[in-house]
Amino acid sequence: MTEQGHKGVIRSLGELPRGVEPGRDLWPQIEAQIAGRAPAAPAVTAPVSRAASGTRLRWLAAAAMVGCVAVGVWIGHSVPLGGAAAPPLAAGHPGAGALQTAWVADPRYQREHAELMRSLGDQVAALPPASRAKVMASLTTIREAKHNLEEALGKDPGNSLLQELLVNTYQDEMRVLTDVREASDAGKGI
Amino acid sequence: MTLAQVESSRIDWEGALVERARAGDTRAFERLYREHAGRVYGLCLRMTREPHLAEDCTQETFINAWRALAQFETRSSLGTWLHRIAVNVTLGKRRKAGREEPLPESEIEEEGFEPHWTFETPVEVQEIEDAIGALPAGARDALVLHALYGYSHTEAAQMLGLAEGTCKAQLHRARKLLRERLNVEVG
Repeated sequence: MTEQGHKGVIRSLGELPRGVEPGRDLWPQIEAQIAGRAPAAPAVTAPVSRAASGTRLRWLAAAAMVGCVAVGVWIGHSVPLGGAAAPPLAAGHPGAGALQTAWVADPRYQREHAELMRSLGDQVAALPPASRAKVMASLTTIREAKHNLEEALGKDPGNSLLQELLVNTYQDEMRVLTDVREASDAGKGI
Repeated sequence: MTLAQVESSRIDWEGALVERARAGDTRAFERLYREHAGRVYGLCLRMTREPHLAEDCTQETFINAWRALAQFETRSSLGTWLHRIAVNVTLGKRRKAGREEPLPESEIEEEGFEPHWTFETPVEVQEIEDAIGALPAGARDALVLHALYGYSHTEAAQMLGLAEGTCKAQLHRARKLLRERLNVEVG
């Protein structure tokens, strides 16, 4: 245990630090092991226990993701993130949040988002009523999550978790918009 | 913002990250790893006393956690869940290495009171860590889970796969040995 090198004196065992940083970053090897392997039986659509229900924001963030996945499944194909729509993000290190939120203001993102929004109206209008309702419901959930996350960030601007979830929500929105456009371009008649 | 609010906020966002990780988002899982790795590694290191083995156990803990995320109930604590996995992984490795040691019959004497594990006089942190590291594995496991990580006798016993009485006996043994090694009364 000498590697910990703790200093000072304590009067009870409860004062000992519980956390000890490993001598090296273990994440790369963990990531290599889990890459390409989704968790067994992902519970994306499973109801989450109400007993753990916390703030509304948490559910909105989760709902945004569920809405996005639902649209992806419904369209029947997945669209990899890439290009201006979703530039690669920094790894989720604490403190990387500011870097992550920076790309939201990236002119490429803004351009692509505006373009998708312009064409969305026509594409959605051409959808069958049931499909249109699904897309609009997903987008509404995602936008509500964005709004609430932005509001929460206004009160706690340094919160890297909030920043990361906001960026993820932007990605979710772009994924839905891109899915709708690509399905429309492919003439899938969604 | 009070500490309780900060903690509550952290747990709330942790739930959202768990949801994302369940959907296959490795970045969300990395966030969870960064949040919990220190405490998981600290537990593994104190149980194994070997940094490299503790690193292996920590990695395996998070890999197993990823695979079993669907089974995690979000109403319970992710930290506790990870600790349970870490204890299982560590005990499994110890079993494979044949390092199991039974509690000597002569030392089966239960803790008769709720231990606070306070010292009569202040003790150097490193001295204490060394003394914990020198304890027999069974006594060390019980002490680490109960006195350091705050798990109840019942929780610690469940995590270690022991009867509660045996766990208390291990704690009694740990207290006795610590008292001898540190030459200080442990109350």
